[in-house]
Amino acid sequence: MNLSAQFDFVRWLTALDEIRPGKSSFLIQPVKDQETRNQDIELLQRVGARDLSAFAEFYDKYASLLFSIASRILHDASEAEDVLQETFVQIWEKADSFDPKLGTASSWAATLARNRSIDRIRASQRRARLQNEAGVENATIAEDGETANSALYGLEKAKLIQSALVQLPAEQRQPIEMAFFSGLTQHEISEKLGEPLGTIKARIRRGLLQLRDKLGDLL
Amino acid sequence: MIDERMEELASLHVLGALSGTEARQFRKAMQASPELQELVDRLSRVTGVMAGAVPLIGPPPQLRAVVLAQAAPRQRTAALPPPKFRAALFLPWAFAVCLAILCAVLSTHENQLRQRISAETGQIGAMNQLAQTLQAATNDLQRTVAALQETNRLVNLRIAMLNSLVADAPKTVAVTLWDNQKQDGVFVAQNLKALPSDEDYELWVIDENQQPVAAGVFHVEANGSVRMEFKPGRLIKTAGTFAVTQEIKGGVASPTLKNMVLAGN
Repeated sequence: MNLSAQFDFVRWLTALDEIRPGKSSFLIQPVKDQETRNQDIELLQRVGARDLSAFAEFYDKYASLLFSIASRILHDASEAEDVLQETFVQIWEKADSFDPKLGTASSWAATLARNRSIDRIRASQRRARLQNEAGVENATIAEDGETANSALYGLEKAKLIQSALVQLPAEQRQPIEMAFFSGLTQHEISEKLGEPLGTIKARIRRGLLQLRDKLGDLL
Repeated sequence: MIDERMEELASLHVLGALSGTEARQFRKAMQASPELQELVDRLSRVTGVMAGAVPLIGPPPQLRAVVLAQAAPRQRTAALPPPKFRAALFLPWAFAVCLAILCAVLSTHENQLRQRISAETGQIGAMNQLAQTLQAATNDLQRTVAALQETNRLVNLRIAMLNSLVADAPKTVAVTLWDNQKQDGVFVAQNLKALPSDEDYELWVIDENQQPVAAGVFHVEANGSVRMEFKPGRLIKTAGTFAVTQEIKGGVASPTLKNMVLAGN
C-alpha cells in the first residue's frame, strides 16, 4: 500500500488558504484565555480537595475529549469506556499533583487518557495488528466535522486548530500520528515507513515545531 | 540554545516515542536545562491540542454515574479524619509482636540447648570410649599381674622327689610341692608299706641349717597311697631336703634317723 497516498491531504489544503506562513498569529487567535485556564486550574484544585461536584464538572467538560482520544487509539468502544473510567479515577486521585506550570488541564488529562490507551494496546495481543493499521487504514486527525476540540474551544476555534494540523506535510504528520496515537517508537516508525531513523526524527521535530509556531497563543 | 538533536529528543519525548533508556537520559538532561523544560512544555501543549483533533465521540451517558460512583467511596475514605490511636486496634498487633519476639527467643534458646546437648553427648561418647580403652588396659594389666603372680608363685614353689631308702620297698615314690612364700605344701606318695596301728609316718622339712622341722604325721592305708597337705611348725627360710621317718603313733619331736624311709630334694 502506498503510505504517502494515505496521507494525501489535498482536500484539506483548501483550508490552508486561510493559514499561511507568517499569518498564524493573525489567523489563530488566543482562543483559550488566561481566565479559562485559571478556571480549569481552580477546578482541578477542588478535585484534588475531594470535591465531588468539581469532579462531576470536570467530567462534563472533558469526558468527550478523553473518550474520543481513547476510542481513536483503541478502536474499541468497550475498551475506551474502561480507559475513560480508569483515567477519571486517576484524575480524582492525582488532581492535587497537577502542576499548571507544566501545561493546561486539558493537555494533562488528554495525556493521561492517551497513555492509558497506549498501555492497554501494548499489554494486549492487538499491538501488532494496530501497528499495521497505524497511520495506514485511518487518518487519525479528523478531516472535517466535529472534533473533540470543538467541545472544548467551540466549533470555530476548533476548526482553526484543525486547519493548522492538517496543513502539516503528510511526511511530517504521519510519523507524529503513529507515535502519538499508536504508541510506536521512533525505531518502529522508521521500520514501518521504510525511512532512515534520522529522517523520521527530523520530520517529527520539524512537524511539532511547526505546529508550535502556528498554534501560537492557543497554547 | 537548544540544538537540533535536543529538539528531536524533546519532540520524541512528548510523543512517548523514546525508548526507556533514551527517555531516562532525556529527563535527566531536561532537569538541568530550564530552556529545555520550556520547550517540552510548549510541545506538550501541542500534543494536547493534537489529541483533541480526533473525531468527537461522546461517552455513553450512563458512564458518568459509574465514574462518579467510583470516586464517591474514595471521597468518603479521603474525608475520614486521621485515625486516632486506639488500644483495641493496637493490642492484637502488640501481642503478635511480643509473641513473635518470644518465639524467636525460645527458638534461639532451644537451638543453644540442642547444641549444648549435642556437644555433651559427644563428650560422653568420647568418655565412654576412653573408659572402654582404660578398662581394656586394666584387664590387660590384670592379666599381666596374674601372669606375673603366677610366675612369682611358681618361682616360690619347690618340687622335690623323695626316693625310697629301704630295701623291702623299692617301688615307693613320693613328691612334695612346697610353697615357700605360703609356708605350706602337699605331699603325695605311692606304694608305701602299711604300718602297724601303733606307728605313723612323719614328714620332715630340713631347713637351710640342716635342722629337721616336723611337718605332719600320716598313716598309710592298705593300698599304700597317701596325699597330705602339710605346714611346718616353724618358719622355713629355705627348704633343703624333705624326708619321711617311721615313728610311733602321733610322731616325735626329733626324727629317728635309722627309721628314715624316704628322702629327697
